[in-house]
Amino acid sequence: MLTLADLQRAMAAALLGGDAEAVSAAVAPDALDPEARLAIYRHHVRTSLTAVLKDAYPVVCRLVDDRFFGYAADAYVRAEPPTEPRLFVYGAGFADFLASFPPCHGLPYLPDVARLEWALHTACHAPAVNLPAGTALARALAALTGDETARIVFAVDPSVRYLASPYPVDRIWCANQPGADPEASVGLDAGSVHLEVRRTRDQAVFRSLPLGEWTLRARLAAGRSLEDSAAEASTADAELNLADALSALFTQGLLVDFTLTPVREETRPC
Amino acid sequence: MRGMTSGTPARAGIGLRAPHVDEILATRPDLGWLEVHAENYMGGGPALARLEALRQDYPVSLHGVGLSLGSAEGLNLEHLARLHALADRLAPCLVSEHLAWSVSGGVYLNHLLPLPWTDEALIVVSDNVRRAQDRLGRRLLVENPSSYLRFLDSPIPEAEFVAELTRRTGCGVLCDVNNLVVSAVNVGLEPLAYLDALPADAVDEIHLAGHAENDADGVTVLIDDHGSRVRPAVWDLYEAALARFGSVPTLIEWDTDLPALAVLQEEAAAAERRLAASRGAGHHAHTS
Repeated sequence: MLTLADLQRAMAAALLGGDAEAVSAAVAPDALDPEARLAIYRHHVRTSLTAVLKDAYPVVCRLVDDRFFGYAADAYVRAEPPTEPRLFVYGAGFADFLASFPPCHGLPYLPDVARLEWALHTACHAPAVNLPAGTALARALAALTGDETARIVFAVDPSVRYLASPYPVDRIWCANQPGADPEASVGLDAGSVHLEVRRTRDQAVFRSLPLGEWTLRARLAAGRSLEDSAAEASTADAELNLADALSALFTQGLLVDFTLTPVREETRPC
Repeated sequence: MRGMTSGTPARAGIGLRAPHVDEILATRPDLGWLEVHAENYMGGGPALARLEALRQDYPVSLHGVGLSLGSAEGLNLEHLARLHALADRLAPCLVSEHLAWSVSGGVYLNHLLPLPWTDEALIVVSDNVRRAQDRLGRRLLVENPSSYLRFLDSPIPEAEFVAELTRRTGCGVLCDVNNLVVSAVNVGLEPLAYLDALPADAVDEIHLAGHAENDADGVTVLIDDHGSRVRPAVWDLYEAALARFGSVPTLIEWDTDLPALAVLQEEAAAAERRLAASRGAGHHAHTS
């Protein structure tokens, strides 16, 4: 006789495509045989999780068609099933999975399209924050000394995400929205893109940024200091007008708060 | 009345689904109460803000689908903490979960999976319900499952299992009448005997929903898909449940092929006519 833990382990494995023999033997063979009964549960697990992925990745689904998406989703669910019940966090690894899924190798832009969709999806579910009045934040910053200014680390709107791709994933995304011109085509050699994703009111949106501005924001959002971020952005894009780029952070309400990195203490052996 | 003590009116409510939220916010229709799936509101963002706006006008019940009360490996304490935080924030009129499991080896299977009705399972579920109630600081309602199989080693009748669970933990019962009809066909459960075996005082909510009828190799299987109007057999059993339990707050659930809000309101009105008739017949809800 199986313990409850063993029974649940066996059934979980069977529902994810594994061997069903042990759990079949534990099921009463009524009018319908045990395997057919287990198939009802297996079908629900597969179709409901595929629907979760399809909800997060509608453009990927459109690019590969429903049937292939179902095939890829099924393989992903088996390889990386959910580990918790909040389904809106399920699917974070789908882009990496597609990148390593041999049947997708003919579509090199697909993982980056998936990354854009995941950024939009998670931006929708990011916690809401009360943005401070821009002037209050500016006043607090103005009170800092020059040394302190270099150590600023900003907390940014938790819904923003930054992603870059060698493919025009923004145009691919737009061309695959409901109602888009079906004749429109996107040249894959259109060049790289640097995108900012953000929730505004009730929906997530994205836009393309010049490399310098994108670098500044992406580094700040990753928790790097103002000094480091500004230096890297200026290196990436010699044309960057840093004063304008910094000012835009305030006018666009991206900054929530700031802290100062600890002072590096000089040490010497004694 | 029981409904007054629990804060849930003895009326019909509907399961709140995302496509209906704008319309309900704009028109504030006369609905007894709303029920939401707890997991959908565990991320913050606009969905939670809109629910809090609705919370001003409607009692809200939290219905969890992911706690996995039947898991032999115990509860996911992070998830329990999230449910606790959400319940603190929303002050729901009811908090309910399922007599089922969905987690094994840390994998969440996104399905309410069947338990064998054994002494071992009773100990597992009782421990999990107690732990959840302790953490939440309130009584949990536990919903009877819809089943597509029964285990060979399952010696305790399901209704007795539920009744014993309420005795051991003090939890309440969410009696899903549609699930009883589905399980009756699929695994031979006897719905009227089941209602009789439940402790009437512990039943604080009823669920109603539609199901689909499938043919599997010549055998009829009912699928609990919440994708259509409440079927006649379910309305009949609902009347029997009201006669036995009194006028209990009742929910219309709809998840697949979601129709216009007006259809859910019609179904809720059909439930309210039966609630009113049960009161008229002298089946008053007792004080709990």
